[in-house]
Amino acid sequence: MDDLREQIELLESSDNLSASINDVQKAIDLLVAARAKIAADPQTAPLTLAKLHDPLKKTMEVAQKDLKPIYSGLNKYSRALDKKFKDKPLPAAENDALSSHPQLINRAIAMHLLREGQFSVASTFIDEANRNPPRPEPTPGTPNPYLQEACSKDAMHGTFNSEKLQSQFSEMYHILHELRQQRNLGPAIEWARDRSGVLEARGSNLEFELCRLKFVCLFVGRDEGGAITESEDGPLRAWAYARSEFAPFQNRYSRDIQKLIGAMAFWPNVQDSPYRRYFYNDSAWEEVAASFTREFCSLLGLSADSPLYIAATAGAIALPTLLKLQNIMKEKRTEWTTQNELPVEIPLPPSYHFHSIFVCPVSKEQSTDQNPPMMMPCGHVIAQESLNKLSKGARFKCPYCPGESHPRDAKKVFL
Amino acid sequence: MAELTTTKLNAESHLLLDQPLLRMPYELSRRNFKNAQRYLERETSTLLTSLSSTSKVATKASGETHENTLESLDAMISKMQGLKRKLEGLHEEEGKIHRHSKARLAHLQDLFEVQSLVDVKYDEWSRIRLSRLLVDYLLREGYSDAAAHLAQEKGIEDLVDVDAFVACHKIERSLREGRRTGEALNWCKENGQGLKKGGSNLEFQLRLQQYIEMVRQGHEAGAEGKGQGGGEQKLIEARQHAKKFLSGSGDFELLGRAAGLLAYRPWDMVEPYASLYSPDRWIYLAHLFLTTHHTLYSLPPRPLLHIALSAGLSALKTPSCHSAYTSSSANASSSTTTVCPICSTELNALARNVPYAHHTKSIVENDPVVLPNGRIYGRERLTGYNEKVGTEKGWVRDPVGGVNGERFREIEVRKVFIS
Ligand SMILES: [Zn+2]
Ligand SMILES: [Zn+2]
Repeated sequence: MDDLREQIELLESSDNLSASINDVQKAIDLLVAARAKIAADPQTAPLTLAKLHDPLKKTMEVAQKDLKPIYSGLNKYSRALDKKFKDKPLPAAENDALSSHPQLINRAIAMHLLREGQFSVASTFIDEANRNPPRPEPTPGTPNPYLQEACSKDAMHGTFNSEKLQSQFSEMYHILHELRQQRNLGPAIEWARDRSGVLEARGSNLEFELCRLKFVCLFVGRDEGGAITESEDGPLRAWAYARSEFAPFQNRYSRDIQKLIGAMAFWPNVQDSPYRRYFYNDSAWEEVAASFTREFCSLLGLSADSPLYIAATAGAIALPTLLKLQNIMKEKRTEWTTQNELPVEIPLPPSYHFHSIFVCPVSKEQSTDQNPPMMMPCGHVIAQESLNKLSKGARFKCPYCPGESHPRDAKKVFL
Repeated sequence: MAELTTTKLNAESHLLLDQPLLRMPYELSRRNFKNAQRYLERETSTLLTSLSSTSKVATKASGETHENTLESLDAMISKMQGLKRKLEGLHEEEGKIHRHSKARLAHLQDLFEVQSLVDVKYDEWSRIRLSRLLVDYLLREGYSDAAAHLAQEKGIEDLVDVDAFVACHKIERSLREGRRTGEALNWCKENGQGLKKGGSNLEFQLRLQQYIEMVRQGHEAGAEGKGQGGGEQKLIEARQHAKKFLSGSGDFELLGRAAGLLAYRPWDMVEPYASLYSPDRWIYLAHLFLTTHHTLYSLPPRPLLHIALSAGLSALKTPSCHSAYTSSSANASSSTTTVCPICSTELNALARNVPYAHHTKSIVENDPVVLPNGRIYGRERLTGYNEKVGTEKGWVRDPVGGVNGERFREIEVRKVFIS
C-alpha cells in the first residue's frame, strides 16, 4: 500500500501538468513580445517572425517533453496496482444470482436506507427507481426473470409500503435521538408502555429498564437536559417516582426493585456503594438505546441490524473461500450459485450465526423440512432419512447408545 | 482456537471487492493525461504552421500587411491561451483524481490496522464499504441523484465516481432513449486508443447504425414519393458512408446484410434485414456502450454489490430461513432471540434462489433441552425467558408462543443429545 501511496504523492506534487502549463505560458510570452515589437515597428516583422520560430518550437517541444514524467509515473503506478491485485481477481460475473431480481435488490436498499434513517436519500432513490424500473437479466438459477419479475413488479409498492416504513423508522429515530442526545426517556417509556402487553409476552424487560434508568436519573438529580443539578431532593423524587410507577413491575422485577431501593440506604454516598453501577453508568444509555432498537425492529419482524449490512459483510468475508471454490468448479464447469447447498464451509465469526444448525451425525447432512431432525426415545437425534435407513421400518438400536426403539416412537424436533 | 480462525482478519486477501476502487481513478487519470497530450500535440503543430505561413506572407509583402501579421499573431496568442486554459482544466481534474486515489488508499490502509473481524473498527470500515458498494450500485443502475445524495450524506465523495458514471449514463441514455449516435461516437474518438487496443467494435456498430438510419430515411422518402430524387440521394449517401466507415470490417456476413438493406425496405419485414431495422438495436447499442465503457475502465461487468450479496446470502442462509416451521433459535416472537438477516423481510425473497451454507457440525446452544412439542432450546435461554415473563413455578412456557403460548410441566422438559 505504501508504494502505491508514494507513487500517487509523486504524481500529485511534481509529476503533473503544471510544468507543461508553464511552458505554454512561456510560448505565450514569446508571442506577446513579438507582437509588441512588430506593433511598435512594423518593419521588423519579417525578422522578428523568423527569429520567433525556433524558440517557439523549442518551448513547445519542452512542453511536450514535460509530459513524460506523468507518463512514466502513471506506468509505475499501474504496475504497482497490477502487483497488488495480481492474486486478487475480480469475482466472476457468472456467480451473480441476483441480476434476475433487481426489484428485490432495490427494495432491500430502500428498506436499508429507511432503517438507517437516511429518509431523504431513500425518497430520492424510490422516486428514481419508480421512474426508471430496473431491467432484470437472466441468471443460471433464473433463466426467465421477466416471468417472475411480473409477479413481483409491485415489490416497491405492494408488500413494501415505504411511507409507512418511513414513518415507523422516523418514530424510532425520534425516540433514539431523545434518548442519546437529550437524555430524555419520556418518548421511549411512552412507546414501551403503549406496547407493554406485547413486550411482556416477548419476555422483554425494556419498559422496566427504561423506568429504572429514569429512577436513577431522578435519584442523582439529573434533569431532562442531562445536566446534573445539585438538588438535595433527588432521592425523594426518585422515591416518589418508584411509588407511582413501579407497581406494575412489582411481580416480575421485585428483586431488581429491591436492589434499587436498597441503594437509597447508601445515599448520599452512592459513589462508594456497591450499587454504583446502576447510578454512574453512561453506557446505560447506550444499552437501553440498543435494546429499544432491537425490540422496535423485532416488532416489525425485522432484524436489529441492517440485513444488507450483515449480508454484504458476510459476503466479503466469504469471498476468498468462494474464489478458491470457483477455480475448482470452473474445471468441473459448474457454478456454486446453482447448487442447493454450498460445497464448502465458510468460516464466519460466531456473531454471524443466527439459527441453530443440525448436521446429522450419521449422514453428515444438514436437516431440512424434507429431512427433519428426529429424536429417538433415548434423546439422541438423527435425520429422518438416516432413521429410515437404519430402522427399515422395524425396531432398531440407536447408533449412539444401547437404546432400542421403533421408528414411530421417534419425534420430530425443531431447532 | 476455532474462535480465532473465524475472527481473524486477513486484510490482504480481504480486498477482493476493492480493485475497481483504485483502478477507476487510475484509468481516469490516464485518460486525462492522453487528452493533455492530444491537445498539446495538435496545438503545437497548428501553431508552428500558422507561424510559418505568417512569416512567409510578412517576408514577401511590406507595409500594409502588418495589420494582417498582428491579426495572425493575435489569433495564435488566443489559441495558445485556449490551450493553456484547457491544460489548466485538466490539471485541476488530475489533482482531483489523485486526491481520490489517495483517499482510497488511506481507506484501504485502514483495514490493515484491524486484526479481527469482531473489532468495532472492522464494523466501521465495513459500513463505509457498504455505502461505497451502494453508491456504486446506484450509479451503475443510473440512479445518479440517489447516488450523489448518499455519497454526500456519508461523506464518501472521494471514494466514489459519481461524475464519471453520470457522464457514462448520459451517453447511454442518448442511445437508448434519444436514439442518437453523436455522443457515443464522440466518446469513441476520445478513447480511441484504448478501444482499439481492446478490440472493441462499438464504433463500427455505431457507424452501422448511422448507415441503417440513412437507408431507412432513403426508403421512407422514396415511398412518400417526395420526388424520386430525395430518397435516391439518401441511399447514395448511405452507400458512401458505408464505403468510408464500414468496409474496413472483416465481418462479411454482417456487411452482406447491411448491403441487403438497400434492397429490402423496413416494412418488407424480411429477415435477416428486418432485425437491423429494429428499434431493439438501440437497446443493444446502449448495452454495448455500457459493457465497452466498463471494460475500458476496468469495472466489473456486474455491480459489486451483487457479488458481495450473492456470497453473503449463501454464507448466512440456512435451511431454516425458508422453512415452513418457526425456528426456535432465531425468530421475531421473543426477545431472547434476534431475527436472522435472511429471515428478515429485506432479504428473504432475494435469498430464495441461492444455495444455503454448508456446515459439517451441528451448532446448538449449550445444554439443549426439548419441550414436549418438539422445540429445542438452550436451558439457560429457556429459563431466562420464563423468569422474565414470570411463569408460574413448576411450569415452562414455549418462548415462540409468548405468554399465552403453550405451557408445559417443568418435569416434561427433557435433555436432548445433539452431536
Ligand atoms: Zn441413543
Ligand atoms: Zn434465517
